[in-house]
This record gives sequence, structure tokens and C-alpha cells, in this order.
Amino acid sequence: MARTKRPVFLDLRHIQMPVGALASIGHRISGVVVAIGVPVVVYLLALSLKDEQSFAHVASHLRLVPVKAALVVLVWAISHHVLAGVRHLLSDFDIGSPLRLARRSAWFVNLGGVALAVLAAVVLL
Amino acid sequence: MKFSIFRFDPEHDAKPYMQDFEMELLPTEHMLLDVILRLKQQDPTLTLRKSCREGVCGSDAMNINGRNGLACITRLRDLIEPVVIRPLPGFPIIRDLVVDMTQFYKQYHSITPYLINAEPLPEKELLQSPGERDRLNGSYECILCACCSSQCPSYWWNPDKFVGPAGLIQAYRFIVDSRDRATNERLDDLNDAYRLFRCRTIMNCAEVCPKGLEPVYAIERIRLKMSGAGDKDGALDTHPPLSPR
Amino acid sequence: MRTPDIRSTGLAAWWVQRLSAAYMLVFVIFLLTTFAIDPVQSYAQWLGWVGRPGTRMALATFFAALLSHMWVGLRDVLLDYAKPPALQRLLLATVGAGLLAIAISVVWILASIPR
Repeated sequence: MARTKRPVFLDLRHIQMPVGALASIGHRISGVVVAIGVPVVVYLLALSLKDEQSFAHVASHLRLVPVKAALVVLVWAISHHVLAGVRHLLSDFDIGSPLRLARRSAWFVNLGGVALAVLAAVVLL
Repeated sequence: MKFSIFRFDPEHDAKPYMQDFEMELLPTEHMLLDVILRLKQQDPTLTLRKSCREGVCGSDAMNINGRNGLACITRLRDLIEPVVIRPLPGFPIIRDLVVDMTQFYKQYHSITPYLINAEPLPEKELLQSPGERDRLNGSYECILCACCSSQCPSYWWNPDKFVGPAGLIQAYRFIVDSRDRATNERLDDLNDAYRLFRCRTIMNCAEVCPKGLEPVYAIERIRLKMSGAGDKDGALDTHPPLSPR
Repeated sequence: MRTPDIRSTGLAAWWVQRLSAAYMLVFVIFLLTTFAIDPVQSYAQWLGWVGRPGTRMALATFFAALLSHMWVGLRDVLLDYAKPPALQRLLLATVGAGLLAIAISVVWILASIPR
């Protein structure tokens, strides 16, 4: 009997994602978000350094609500990425590697990123 | 107790489907495997692998309520109903809960899971002190059940190129074995873009290992050894295994 | 102890990612404290801060670290998900070109700061 390709069970809705997995996928997503933000920031940097007028232009744009909202998202992305990254750097050198500790640090990373984003929202908006 | 079990028979079914069962538990039944075998008496077409029924052979690894585990040591009273049972994620399904382990074993073989020592053999034995033997703790206990690799997203995306947590914890077992003489070759073999370095330290492997092992920790130690930044050769941490709920 | 072999790809990428991350962490903490203490109020002040000796060099190194870190990270994403070899090569080349473009613009920006 000819064997056709065998099915594979990979329905992510039915597979449990422990807290470490959430920290990790957050790390990847936040990395991509920051990567998208970098060209924008470089552009704003160029503008702000060009002359007095452009500087004022950039400053006034930074006060608009949609721009501030985008900034809050960027703050979340940078915070989560940096916190998760520090967690990785520490575990590279055997600090906090055993599972119990790693789960606690994953909670800290996940909540920390959100907390910093909320803080940024409060400060900016 | 209510169960929902993944069914697929390639000779009869076009697509997989979930079949619901409801069973009165007997007082002698404590583990999930007991109930599944009784279900099999009702429906003999239900197919699964099982052998030792005590958590040492690794045959009955399956995805229980979203989390991989061994059915024979998963307590019924811990499980949330309906108990949803599916085969190991990411592995080709042969029938019902039986998956194709070929790729998994290929990765295991690829790390040369045997001692490599070309030196002339001593008269009696190749000696190893108790301290040196202790370095194998936390990695030799692996039963190759595949719970870890099949819960690892990096392994899902590249099962043919990434060795996976099971293969890598076994690689560590041979790297730290004092009787082995091929450490540099083993490290070199793992040093490309995929074999070891697809690991993102997601830690699903340590979460689901039914023996409480931590492959992610072994991988970190191998990386340290490769980089020359550290030389921790010791036993790995283990933890009380976390069962599916 | 084994001598690290930097020619191999897995380890080299890992080092780049870790070292650039450590440098950026220190730099960002420094940046945040500087601007928390003394926020920029005007164009003149902004220019003055950027024009300080060493700042441009530090910024250039920061961007070098950032772009190499981004390269390793985005490459990892593509290696994981972009399966067809031709597609993977194309996407890697596109990302590489994009990062190079950003690098060139940063050099140009830093070089053309009015004194």
C-alpha cells in the first residue's frame, strides 16, 4: 500500500505553553518589533540633528497621541527583550539555570516588560 | 471520567478526529495508562505503545492535556477533565497515538552515543572514580521517551537539522564521561548553525521530562565548553518531574 | 581547556550576540541616567551633547553593536522559519542589505553633525 505523507499534530492551540516558552516567544516578537523600530529611530535622529526647525518638528510629533502609543509599544518591546536577554546572559554563566529558578525569572521577565510599558504609558499619556 | 482521544487510522480515515469516552474509574486504577488499556478492551482498534508500565521504558509518551508525559506515571486524580490525549507533537503519526520515531533516533545516533577511546585497553578495566562517575548524574538517566524533543518548538521547525534536547543531553553524557577521548570531535560536530545552536533556551524540555532531567542545562554547559569561557563538567541538576494536569 | 574555534558559525554568532548585548546594556543604562538627570530641552543643548568629544565614537560603536546583534537575531528567525533554501538566501540577503543601508546612514548622520 502506497504510503502517503503522515499527518503531524502541531495545533498550537492544544499544546501547553509554559511560562518559559512565553518569555521566549516574547523575546523573539519583541526583537522583531525593535528591529522594525530601528530604521524609524535612525530617521528621527537624522532629522533632530539637521537644524533647529527639524528638531522642533520631531519634538512636536513626539507629543501626538498615536506616536506616544507607538512609543509605549516600543518600550514594552525593548524592556521585554532586554529583561529576557539578561536572563539568557545569566543562564549562560550558570546563574538561575535550574528549572524552579528559571520559571521564577521567566515570570519576572514577562511581568517586568508589561510593568515598564504601563509605567511608560502613565508618564507619556 | 471523561476522555477525548486522538484517532487516526490511515487505512480507513481521511482525516484524524477526536473520539470521546466516558469511564467509571475502578478503585484499583491510579494511572492514565490503566484506563487507556481498559478503553482498549472496549475498542480494540485503539492503538498505542506501552511496555513497562512503570515509567522506565518511555514507550507510552503522549501529549496529555497539552503537555507531554508518560501515561503510566500520570496520576488520574491530577488530571483536569475532559482528559485530552493526543500523540507527541511534531512527529509523523503512524496510527492513533503511535508516532514515527525514526528522525528522533537518527538525531540520537548522529551524536555518536558510545564511548570513543582508541587507547590500548588496560589489563582489567577502564577505571573511573566515583567522583568521575557522578559527573554523569542528571544526563545518563534519559530513557529516550521523546517527551522533550516533541515539546521543543526549535525541534518542531527543524527536526532534521537540530539535534534536539534528547540527543544533546546524551551528547553531554559522553562529553563529560572521563573514559571518552573524543571530546573535541564531539564539540566540533555540534558547532554549526543548527545542530546545537537552534536552542533558544525555551525550557519546555526541562518542564516535561518525566525523569526530571534538564536538557537545557546540558546544552548551556556544552556551549560553555565550546566557547572556552567555562569548564563546568559536573553533574546536572534534576527536579521532581512535573506531571500533566 | 579547549581553545575556542571562532571560524565555526554557531559559536561565532553566539559570541557576537552576547558581547554586543552586554555593550548595549551598559550604554543604554548610561544613556538613560544621563537623560533622566538632564533631559534635552533645546536643539542647541542636543547638538552640544552629541558634539562632545567621544560621544560620536561611542554612538558609532553602539550602532555597530546594535546592527550586528540585529543581524544574528533576524538570521536566527529566518534559519528557523524560512525553509526553502532559495527563499532563505533571498531573505537573508534582503535583511543584510537593509542593515548595511542603516549602517551607512548612521555613518553619514554622525559625520554630518553641524559643529
